[in-house]
Order: sequence, then structure tokens, then C-alpha cells
Amino acid sequence: MREKTVALITFGFVLLLPLVLSFNPYYLSIFITALILGAVALAWNLLAGVCGQVSFGHAAFFGIGAYASSLLVLKAGWNPFAAMILAACLGVLGALIIGIPAFRLRGPYFALSILGFAEVLKLLTLNWTGLTEGSQGLFNIPSLPALRIGSLTLDFYVSRATNYYLAALLMLAVYLAIYFLRYSRQGLAMSAVHGDEETAAGIGVPVFRTKMLALIVSAFCTSLMGAFYAHYVHFLNPDSAFDGSWSVMPIVASLFGGMSTLIGPSIGALLITGLDEFIFKKFFETGHKLFFGILLAVVIVWAPKGLFGKTIKK
Amino acid sequence: MISTSTIIQSILSGLLEGGNYALFSLGLAFVFGIMQIINMAHGEFLVLGGYVAYWMLVGWGVNPLLALPLAALIAGAASFLSYRFFIERIRTTVELNTLILTFGIGIFLSNLYLQLWSADIRNISVHWMENPIQLGGIYISLGEMVTFLISFTGVIGLHLFLRRTKIGKAIRVTAIDRQSAALSGINVERVDLLAFSMGGILAGLGGPLLGMLSFVSPGTGIAITVKAFILTVLAGVGSIPGLIVAGMILGVGEALTVTFVSSSFRELFGFALFLVILLVRPSGLFGKRG
Repeated sequence: MREKTVALITFGFVLLLPLVLSFNPYYLSIFITALILGAVALAWNLLAGVCGQVSFGHAAFFGIGAYASSLLVLKAGWNPFAAMILAACLGVLGALIIGIPAFRLRGPYFALSILGFAEVLKLLTLNWTGLTEGSQGLFNIPSLPALRIGSLTLDFYVSRATNYYLAALLMLAVYLAIYFLRYSRQGLAMSAVHGDEETAAGIGVPVFRTKMLALIVSAFCTSLMGAFYAHYVHFLNPDSAFDGSWSVMPIVASLFGGMSTLIGPSIGALLITGLDEFIFKKFFETGHKLFFGILLAVVIVWAPKGLFGKTIKK
Repeated sequence: MISTSTIIQSILSGLLEGGNYALFSLGLAFVFGIMQIINMAHGEFLVLGGYVAYWMLVGWGVNPLLALPLAALIAGAASFLSYRFFIERIRTTVELNTLILTFGIGIFLSNLYLQLWSADIRNISVHWMENPIQLGGIYISLGEMVTFLISFTGVIGLHLFLRRTKIGKAIRVTAIDRQSAALSGINVERVDLLAFSMGGILAGLGGPLLGMLSFVSPGTGIAITVKAFILTVLAGVGSIPGLIVAGMILGVGEALTVTFVSSSFRELFGFALFLVILLVRPSGLFGKRG
């Protein structure tokens, strides 16, 4: 099947899913998280699957977005939509801080530097109590304001369905951005860097700049989703915003769905969220994430192309 | 006003702590130097060793220092099995695969500890550790001194093992030139298995010490892995004795940060130092310039 066809089926499924679940709020909330994760996984995979740079610390960008947007609204009185955009730009700033030193070297340096970055940011948020309230966290983060389109009012405070469809729309936007980037000149450069850095440099691809661009776009999208998450759950603390899961789950989703595809990671995210909620948690209530460790190991050793890597053609 | 003796005190604790950092990083630095594999499960192997000593103490009242061999052995076994069943199969594929694979093994282990032993932090408390030793006007605890000596012995022991013994030389030769090593009759697959298992054993040795000085918990592992990587880069990949110096720089820097700034910024010091090293001297303090 072609990438476009699979993407169409995926977004069709996402569109119809609430009808199947008859708008049950509990199930909707699970799949809102899955869509947020799906968008982050798409962004993670732009960096890893397209450009070949694995990140173990996307929680850093997620947390920056979540905290920045919440603080802009709570402490500076910004409109949440505007705050989300600025928060995403601050994620880009984070990308520059970590990318400029780490991308000068090849190999595992970037992957581990960004893991350290996420840990340090968590500690900073924990300790900078004057701004972030530390471990107490931020309460009563305002919802996104209601939108009026003609006679239709979209409320984000009470309704789960509107949040669900906004999350789906954000995932679609991230997907489209990555899709067009992938088939642009820059996208080809990223692909070349993934294939072989030295050869890419040899044919005139600016390797450092190409990696930075992939990281910047990835960080922007991840921080944007972090900001959306904050306004959706209304509560943040350093452990929830910089939770290691926001680093781990996009990796599992991408590998599971197929790193060589563009749409795969979002399918992976929907599947693993379902597996986690309906199967894994039934076995081990506290340590259910150990299944994700097994999943990562098994996929990378025995099925490195993921579930759909072979079915989806470019 | 901070007095001179406070400063000397914190420098001394930093130096001793630094020796322990060297041991906590040893397994990761060794495996990276020899096999070019970053073992993302390093911290989890270390924490496993800590849990072994903790349960031996709680269950049978075993002195944690006597539990060291068993802690090392069990962590080594976990490492051996990880290599035999998973890592070996993708050893020859791209580097990123082993990175993600060991990351997955780490996630599995840390969540297994969480499931089996809950998220509680476990301190291996033994009362003799608190006994003070007086040097001039400066006090250090017996525990700090003993753990430092063990760590120091561990690092120097590995260094001598690699330089002086036949197996150690075989490991180094394999790291330098795999094909020539194979031609001269070294079983390179064996060497790989041995080196990775040794990484686990070295990590397992550090666990009880970490548990005695602070604590172990399911979440500790990943922080240890990050710290070990920072130290490996700081020392320069391949430099085992360099780890002690790098550990001490980190230890003293952290201690002075706590004394002069705030304990909140302790971890920030190491990371800032790491970024500066990446920018200024990516080959590390004692590594060969690439």
C-alpha cells in the first residue's frame, strides 16, 4: 500500500473512532492521550527515522511546551492559543541549546546528551519554585478558550469530543508538515544524512544544518503537543510534564509502527496505547511498562522494520 | 560567610565522592571503549547489584561489603543473558540499533524492579559507616573512606587486568583490530561476550556502594547511566584511569556548587561541564585527539 493510502485510512479511523466508542468520555480520554503521543511520535521519527538521529529525551521538549504555555497563561495572562505557539518556539530554543554542542559529534552523543538535558530540565523545574511552584505543580491551568465558528460554539472546557478532534487536527498538521518536509530538498538532505553522513557531506549536503533543521521542526511539534496537553489536563508537575514516558513511548510507537514510514509512528501510538490500557495494565498494575521494554527489544532484533514497514511503500 | 574549613571539607568529600563516581561509570566506560556500544541498561545493572545487597541485609543481616561478590555476579549474569539473547544478534548492524536495544532492556529492568519491589527508595544503612575519622580539623565518615577505597581498587584493578593479563590483552587487541585479533587465534565473539558481561559485573559492584551512600530505586538507573556517560566523555573514551580524575573534578565541582550556590543546582554543574567539554574538547581530558 502507498503511504498516502495508509495515512488516509489512519485519519479516517481517527475521525470515526469516537462514533464507535459512542463518545464514552473514559475511552475518549485514553485516545486523546494516544493522539498526543501519536503526534509526538511522528515528530520523533522525523529526527530518527528520516534523519537518523535517535533522541532519548523528547520529554525535554514536551515539558518545555507544557510549562511555558501554562506559565504564560497563568502568570502573564496570555491567550492560550497564542501561548501554545510561543511555547513551541521556546522548544526550538531548547533544541538549539542541546543541538549545537551535541550535533558536532556523531554516534551516540546526541541521544545521550538530550537524555541528560531532559533530566536537568526536570530538576530545574523542581527547584525553581519561584516560577514553577516546584513539586507542588501548577493547578487550574485554563482550558483553551471556546471557539465560535458561525453559529457553532466549540467548547474545550467540558467537552471531551472537541479536545479529541483538536488533538486529531494537531496530529494531522504535524503529519502534513513532516510529509511535505520529507519530500522537499531539505527532506532529501535528511535522508542522505541518515544513509551515510560522510557521503552526504561529500556531495555537498550541509550535515550539521540538516540535522539541526530536523531537530528544530521535531522540537517545535513536540512542544506544541506538550502545550496542548497542559491546557487539556489543567494540571502539571515536573514528574508529569517531563515524565520519561514522553521520551520512551514515541520510540516504542515509532519502532512498532515502522520507522521507515512517515505515518507508521502514529498508528503505533494508537496500537500501543490500546495494548497498554486494555491488556498490559491487567497483568502488572505498577510495572506494566516493562512490556514496552520487551516490545522494543523484540522489534529491533526480529522485526526492525516494524509492523507496517514492509506493507507501506513510498 | 563560608569558612575555609567548610571549603576544604567540601573539596575532600567531593574527591571521595568522585572516586565512587569513577566506579559507578566504570562498566559503561569499559564497554564503550572496547565494544563501541553504549549500554543504556548500565544503570539498571548497577541498581540490581544494589537491590541484591539491600535484600541480603534486610533478609539475612549480611554485611553489604560481603554482599559485593554476589551483587556483581547477579548483575553480571543479567548482562550476560542480555548479550547472549539479544545484543549478539544485532552486533553487526548499525550502532543506533544496539543503543535502542539496550535502552529497551533498561526499560524492562527498571519496570520489573518497580513491579517486584515498588517505587520505594532503598537505603542500605549500616551504622559503622557514620563513624567519623578526624584529619586535622576535618571530619570524614568511615563509610565515605571505605567506599572510596573499594572504588579506587576496582578502577585500578580493571586497568591492571587489561594491561597485565593475557585475557586483558586479548580484549584490548580485539578492540583495536578485530580482524588481526581473529587471525592470531583470539575468539572475538567470546571476547565480546566476556567484555559485555564484565561491564555488568563492574556495574554490579557499584550498586551496593551507591545504596550505602545514598539509595537505590527503580528510577535511579537512568540517572546513573547519564552520569556515567558524562564521566566517560569527560575522561575521554578509552581512558580508564582518567575516570578517577574526571570523577573527582565532577565530585568537587558538585560539592562546591552545593556549598556556594545551592543544592538544587548540583546536577546542573555536571551537565553544564559536559556541554562545555563537547564544544571545547570532545575527545575528553585524557582521550586521543581525533
